[in-house]
Amino acid sequence: MLPFEYARVTGVDEAVNLLAADPSASYLAGGTTQLDLMKDGVLGPERLVDITRLPLRGVTRDADGLHIGALTTMEELAADPVVAGELPVVREALLLGASAQLRNMATIGGNLLQRARCRYFRDPTVPDCNKREPGSGCAAVRNTARMHAILGVSERCIALHASDLAVALVALDAVVRLHGTSGSRSVPLTQFYREAGTSPDVENVLLHGELITGVTIPPLPAEAATGYLKVRDRASYEFALASAAVVLVMRDDVIAQARVGLGGIGSKPWRSLEAEQVLTGAAASGEIFREAAAAAVQGAWTVPGTAFKVELAQRTLVRALRNVSGGAR
Amino acid sequence: MSTVESRDVRGSRDAAPVIGTGMDRVDGARKTAGAAGYPSDVQLPGQTHAALVQSTVAAGRIRTLETAAAEASPGVLTVMTHRNAPRLPDGPMTALGASPPAPLRDDRILHHGQHIALVVAETPEQAAAAARLVRVTYDTSDPVLGLDDPRAERMDNPWGMDADRGDPAEAVRTAEAKVSGTWTTPDNTNNPLGLFATVAVWERDALTVHDSTQWPTMGRVTLAKVFDVPESAVRVLAPYVGGAFGAGLRVWPHVILAALAARVLRRPVKLVLTRAQMFTSVGHRPSTVQHLTVASTGTGELVALDHRCTSGVAMEDDDFEPCAATSALAYACPNVITRDVQLRLNIPDPTSMRAPAVGQGNFALESALDELAHSLSTDPLELRLRNYAAEHPGNGLPWSSNALRECYEAGAERFGWSRRDPEPRSMRDGDELVGYGMAGVSYPWYAQPCKARATVNSDGSAFVRSAATDIGTGTYTVMTQVSADTLGIPPGRVRFDLGDSDMPQSPQAGGSGLTGALATAVRDACRGVLGRILDLVRDDSESPLRGCTIGDVTVGGGRMHLRGRPAEGESYADILARHGQVEVTADGASTPADAAELGMAPAGAFGAKFVEVRVDADLGVIRVPRVVSAIDGGQILNEKTARSQIIGGTVGGIGQALFEETVTDAGTGRIANATFGDYLVPVNADVTQMDVLFVGDPDRATPLGTKGVGEIGLVGIAAAVANAVHHATGTRVRSLPVTLDQLL
Repeated sequence: MLPFEYARVTGVDEAVNLLAADPSASYLAGGTTQLDLMKDGVLGPERLVDITRLPLRGVTRDADGLHIGALTTMEELAADPVVAGELPVVREALLLGASAQLRNMATIGGNLLQRARCRYFRDPTVPDCNKREPGSGCAAVRNTARMHAILGVSERCIALHASDLAVALVALDAVVRLHGTSGSRSVPLTQFYREAGTSPDVENVLLHGELITGVTIPPLPAEAATGYLKVRDRASYEFALASAAVVLVMRDDVIAQARVGLGGIGSKPWRSLEAEQVLTGAAASGEIFREAAAAAVQGAWTVPGTAFKVELAQRTLVRALRNVSGGAR
Repeated sequence: MSTVESRDVRGSRDAAPVIGTGMDRVDGARKTAGAAGYPSDVQLPGQTHAALVQSTVAAGRIRTLETAAAEASPGVLTVMTHRNAPRLPDGPMTALGASPPAPLRDDRILHHGQHIALVVAETPEQAAAAARLVRVTYDTSDPVLGLDDPRAERMDNPWGMDADRGDPAEAVRTAEAKVSGTWTTPDNTNNPLGLFATVAVWERDALTVHDSTQWPTMGRVTLAKVFDVPESAVRVLAPYVGGAFGAGLRVWPHVILAALAARVLRRPVKLVLTRAQMFTSVGHRPSTVQHLTVASTGTGELVALDHRCTSGVAMEDDDFEPCAATSALAYACPNVITRDVQLRLNIPDPTSMRAPAVGQGNFALESALDELAHSLSTDPLELRLRNYAAEHPGNGLPWSSNALRECYEAGAERFGWSRRDPEPRSMRDGDELVGYGMAGVSYPWYAQPCKARATVNSDGSAFVRSAATDIGTGTYTVMTQVSADTLGIPPGRVRFDLGDSDMPQSPQAGGSGLTGALATAVRDACRGVLGRILDLVRDDSESPLRGCTIGDVTVGGGRMHLRGRPAEGESYADILARHGQVEVTADGASTPADAAELGMAPAGAFGAKFVEVRVDADLGVIRVPRVVSAIDGGQILNEKTARSQIIGGTVGGIGQALFEETVTDAGTGRIANATFGDYLVPVNADVTQMDVLFVGDPDRATPLGTKGVGEIGLVGIAAAVANAVHHATGTRVRSLPVTLDQLL
């Protein structure tokens, strides 16, 4: 058996203290990643701290932006009137992710922390996985890897961060609020994740015991337009082969501001400052979109199974830019 | 065009026939209420639970196998391995080939995912947890995994079906047009939604097995041989099966392991496969490499067809996949060569998956014909019509039925094929390139002997049964209809039962052959009962039916009367009461049609598939908004369940065309995508508008005029999609699945 202790907490400090004191403990929220990985034998926490009763659920708005409690479910956030009315990029990213059943269980905090879908990571009978067993190698690199990443990866690990929502959130300059034993801190989502680099097992800056309590999306300029485009084989219930989250502020034909997030291709939800640099201040056109897209995939590292993503990601971004800019070709 | 031609093939009857009508499934309410007991629902007193341990290498030998930790794990009752399990004989030959090898024979590993131990515990969780504690090391050898591996043992013409007609080489050489190419199809996994489950229990020396099977009769015969007990001591039950698509056609090693553990422990053992184990334990559609040449005159009359197919098979198992051979029977063509080859690989056992062989072979053939049509600037539909086989291409006999031309015409009309601009990449809607593609299907005829038993009870109700299965196809329902019509008893007073090997023998639900065999046997049994009831009143001075034969009477409303004289008759209940009978029972049987005897070639179903695809011009995303399937299925017994069969097949075809590919890791032979998140099948959003038309007349080779429709729904979709993708984009994809990265 896989014996573990189950503890249900009602206060944030109680949760953080419990977890910080126990190196083998993990939080349990929606469970859609955590429990799968335990059943697959990838994770074996000795204690699960159930945080679903913590008062971290719901969406509020003030001058600093939209504050999303970490335990808000994906469906709840998609249904939020502000999100539905003003942040199509968030709503689209949410509703194109997972399935309705999963979205009803999965929380926003958990979504940001979802683990790689890599079938080599998720199968303990595969000996070589640097994410699971640091130093053991990477089986995905030499096998079929169509769903894997091309940015922020190397021969050490090509696992994809498969979240759609996080791609939208990095484009929106969202900030995660963390709470630990030494208090609270805020980290921009773009600095929250780490590229696979030399330590694919370390995916973000969370310290053990630290808890995501919420996410803040700063206000957008009133004239900003946003959109999320997801490209995949089947029409529903599949992770992105490529996706793009785009925020544009247009002044006539000129792109005054651009923010670009890319999904389906990165070891972390990918923010492309390179693409933004090309776009900002330029007149919207197909040509400039293609130039931005080319800049976005500079440095791609591919294996035969993922090589097509270099082209697909660019076309996806070009299409998303066209859609959000109002159709410039 | 969706009407079903009807002919009086049902004998004389009073009430409006229920055959042909779209009667609701008789088991529908039970299924939707959760009251239908699938094998995984079975719970027996004292039941134990088993979990499999599978090899994590593809070839070699077990070096060390440590079971002590598992044995000491809470709740564990036994851990069976090749070291302590009794050696069992292999199962017998079946109508589909040899049985899979017996499990736990020795220390050899033949494929990744091979069962190497069975852990039995008090709960499923204890068993699963203990299974993880079994430690195995291997002396591995380099596995033979690919169809391109020169080390693979090669078997030529394994089914004796290679075809040779005329001089294809010379015909190709002198042909005015030809297309030659290589098409490939990947491994596909059957993946029924219901996880396969076995519950085995021994009572004294009798074995009862609840199993996810399509063939209880064969299960009984096999288990009796393997466990060396009389067939009369074995009972296999499968009243409900959560889909199978061919995966339930064999007695798999895990079934034998469950029965073996139950005998060792003297307690019931339940084993439910995990989704990942479904990829390695119950078969799959094997990958193929197909070289095909089609050659024609300048006006598209085929002069030569050369189809050579290589597929994989497990190291010590059989599989029936004559992909090339089926091409020889599809079109009128004077010069034909087909060659099928199997290679032995370190892979899990392939087995039939909906439309075995035809599903792969048709993709290559119908793709090649599309290319030929394109090269000749001929409409692909016109090319098929020009090469229509008016007689059976193999034996030259007239078909017992063939409405393939009507399929083309009706399907094209419904689809709007005439709106197709023949130029590739010429039809566009915004960002989407629009393509129309089509394919023809000539499905092989298949039949097996079958038996059934019918009873009329003292209250005039009926009970009819056979050891068949209903894997979601509608067998319960259509056989209720056949029984009701033949006996003249309303369907609500007829119970048709199946899924029990104690019932009269039935062939498998497979090969699109069950309905024809079973309906004929059911009708024969019901007519036998009518005859026996007439026997009762032969000398009965009180009966207006005295001295009548079955030809003299009409049935309906639970009674019989003299033909044309409704007042002169009586109810079954009255007859049985007067003669002191509680029930009257008769057996019925059917045997496959004999072509020589008939002077006709018994025909399978025919079909024409028309598909619209939309391909995003930049992104390559492929969607199938519309499919029209025109099917000649002979006499349709139930319009609704038959339509559902075609729709279900179409969904499988879309899966084969666009999504499904079982990925095996080079080197280790591990299946890399053994989850429903990674092995893609169509979801609802991928299957939008699916039209089904039934055309044609009742078939002349079967008493009820039926032809099987279980598999034809799938066939042709892959080629039609690939052909439509070419029409949309100008890109030919000869390798399944067709995915967006091939179109960038």
